Amino acid sequence: MNCTDWEERLALYAGGDLAPAPAAEVERHLAECAGCQMFASGLRASLELLEGAHQEVPAPAHFAAVRSRVLAQLERERRPFWRRAWVYGFAAVAAMLLAAVAIWPSRWVAPPPPEVAIVHAPAAPVPIVPARPPQAGHKPRKKAEPGEPLMVRLVTDNPDVVIYWISERKGEY
Amino acid sequence: MSTLTLLAEANGSNVIAAAKAGDLAAFEQLMRQYERMVLVTALRLLGSLHDAQDASQEVFLKLYRNLGKVEASGNISGWLYRVTVNACHDLRRRRPDSVPMEDAGELRSREADPAEQSAEQERRCVLQLSLRMLSEKERAALVLRDLEGLTTEEVARVLGSSEATVRSQISKARVKVKGFVERYFRRHV
Repeated sequence: MNCTDWEERLALYAGGDLAPAPAAEVERHLAECAGCQMFASGLRASLELLEGAHQEVPAPAHFAAVRSRVLAQLERERRPFWRRAWVYGFAAVAAMLLAAVAIWPSRWVAPPPPEVAIVHAPAAPVPIVPARPPQAGHKPRKKAEPGEPLMVRLVTDNPDVVIYWISERKGEY
Repeated sequence: MSTLTLLAEANGSNVIAAAKAGDLAAFEQLMRQYERMVLVTALRLLGSLHDAQDASQEVFLKLYRNLGKVEASGNISGWLYRVTVNACHDLRRRRPDSVPMEDAGELRSREADPAEQSAEQERRCVLQLSLRMLSEKERAALVLRDLEGLTTEEVARVLGSSEATVRSQISKARVKVKGFVERYFRRHV
């Protein structure tokens, strides 16, 4: 038998994992095979090295850290519902307030719709004209008299809709 | 399982009952009793102290939530080993790119002598590197059998495998570790 075939049994023998009969067989082979003796002693040495290194444990602070994390988590879970509920309640109220603040300004900013009068007019399209007749020549536009209303009539594509815009402000549209 | 472990478990049954009744001080006592076992096993399986602490936290939270089952089973060590191996497996899947070697310096040194400290550090390094070479199942089998000292039968129960499978995994792992240790010291001495 090739010595490679003994490796698995030698590995089990080194850790004391063989039943008495196969262990005795391994011992007989070891007695007459120098190569396997070296292999077995190498296995034992590496196992001893690992076992020695395994005895070194992490510092106590690392154990304490785990303990405190676990206990803190359990304390949180054990808190009565009403003590946890106020946190969720506060968060809900805060969210509603934020939503209200986000929506409210848009109501203030939205300008009121222009007041327009809708009248039924003749079907013929009419250009935009000032209420007063135009002056001859290119003269600077006369300022509206104080208190005099200014009226603009807008004719739309729809012959049934004409928009009148009447401004009572002084010289402003 | 050793007689000492069985005795500790017999004394621990009162502590389990108190912890089950909601006594957190009793549960803390229970954690102190098993924290070395859980954290060091997780450290060997994961190779990173930070990950091992996270796994230990999960294990103890599970223990608290399953105190009834654990009390009924009467084998808290076996239950904890099984849950630790599973927690490490899950953590490894979630964090496949952990960097383990930096933790070598985190371990407490029992000797103040710098030469001894250096030798210890080297042994830790060899231990971590050789465990890293193994497959996940080989590593679990070797850690539980050779480092934690469970019997092959107990290892099989913890890992949910047959004894024959565990024996095969252990023998392969031992041969690989031997090869690695010899190569390491040939290169570094």
